[in-house]
Amino acid sequence: MPKENVSIFDILGPVMIGPSSSHTAGVARIAFLTRKMFGRKPDQATVRFYGSLAATYRGHGSDKAVVAGLLGVSPEDERLSRGLELAAEALASGEGFPIDIIAEPAEPAPWHPNTVVIDLKAGDEKLRVRAASVGGGAIRIDEINGYAVRLSGELEALLVLHKDEIGVIAIVSHILAANRINIAGTSSHRKEKGDEALLVVETDGAIPPAIIKQIEGLPPVFMALRVPSL
Amino acid sequence: MKFRFSSFEYLLKILAEEKIGAEDYAIKRESFISGKSEADILIDLDRRIAVTRAALDRGRCESQRSLSGLTDGAAVKFATRSRVLVSDDLFSRAIGYALAVNEVNACGGKVVAFPTAGSSGIVPGAIWAWWDTRGPGGAEPPYDERLRGAFLNASLVGVLIAQNATLAGSEGGCQAECGAAGAMASAAIAFLEGLSLEQRFGAAALALKNSLGLACDPIAGLVEVPCVKRNAFVAAASLVAVELVLAGIESAVPFDEVVAAMKSIGDSLPQSIKENAEGGLAATATGIKYKAKMAQTQN
Repeated sequence: MPKENVSIFDILGPVMIGPSSSHTAGVARIAFLTRKMFGRKPDQATVRFYGSLAATYRGHGSDKAVVAGLLGVSPEDERLSRGLELAAEALASGEGFPIDIIAEPAEPAPWHPNTVVIDLKAGDEKLRVRAASVGGGAIRIDEINGYAVRLSGELEALLVLHKDEIGVIAIVSHILAANRINIAGTSSHRKEKGDEALLVVETDGAIPPAIIKQIEGLPPVFMALRVPSL
Repeated sequence: MKFRFSSFEYLLKILAEEKIGAEDYAIKRESFISGKSEADILIDLDRRIAVTRAALDRGRCESQRSLSGLTDGAAVKFATRSRVLVSDDLFSRAIGYALAVNEVNACGGKVVAFPTAGSSGIVPGAIWAWWDTRGPGGAEPPYDERLRGAFLNASLVGVLIAQNATLAGSEGGCQAECGAAGAMASAAIAFLEGLSLEQRFGAAALALKNSLGLACDPIAGLVEVPCVKRNAFVAAASLVAVELVLAGIESAVPFDEVVAAMKSIGDSLPQSIKENAEGGLAATATGIKYKAKMAQTQN
């Protein structure tokens, strides 16, 4: 069945810094979102480009885009094309952090051909995001800290890592409902019965930090992570 | 009001039943999909239109040069040329404006992907050329309703192509990018010329038919060759489509069927000419030379 709800702004958009919606704009959006998700200044960042990005990243300015995004520069900001200079300036003034860019020769077979893996580190805090730039500036987050997800960055999301036991999903949705946060979609993944499980909840609107703390405080919950929207 | 449609035929029926213009309908539908107010949508629309104008002005004033050397100030050369063959101002400006916007994109400037970055010069090129030669010219936000209407009519054509086929070169070849943009530009110009909705989509059908089967074979995988100059060709062709419709010449195949044909052609195109930079122009001796040059700068 054909789609029926494509937005006019998917056609007239995104506003972006050239030259490529998939190799520049999508990469800028992935990096910007990853930094937002981390929520603080990292000490160190490592970027790995795979597939088509590894082969053509310089000509498309994917390196400038990813560096600018990690510095928190908006994907629509023209400073993006000066990403590498900005990073060097920030590093020199002590405001920045080292960013390594690695072109990986081949991507593991099932990955999207335009895949980027970003590792951020600040003290003991670590974040690894694997995402794909899927065309027209659209992105898809495929993995967060080793957990397979499938997020577009268009909606706010909450990741809840918990012990696989009865009622966790019900409690989390109850807390969200009590705070009048509408759930747009959920998915649940587990490794083995009774082992760790990951609950992914997409919501309309941001989830306040206090509520994330409350969810993280639930006995079966190991970790709750907010994935902001772009 | 119904906001879901999957064909032009059905869209036409909704608009006739609701007695509403395509432009107003596009805004109401966007408000329904996004949950935002109509006023906020107009602000966002104007913001995007303004980016297209800024890119155009920049590309015409400053010679754009890319890292690869494949983009080299074509828009400035065109604007300052001394020999002129086709002297119609609208036609001439559509060519020059489309070059300007797409060169800015190729060189890492700010544009609106409309529908994609590689085809971003076509619709703004045609619309602003018309606006500057046949309309009041120039403008600052908040924009005139007619100018907004041109962008909205183009967007609705894009919505239908996105919903029923694709706008990605990697899936449908360049017919899905520049081809789609040409159809969108034709509808926009037909709207500005005061033509009916059927005539606008008739012009879009003519333009899209002319781009069926177009390969996406960019040199070294960069959004430069043939993209930048193709933006100029397709913007000019979108005016030809409207000129035909003005003469009472109609597309024998209706818009919805042309889109279906585009989808089936896109599916059957080999992968080597769907944006992976392995076939066509990318595989020529010149293409390979630039690929090697870019691989050197990479290391």
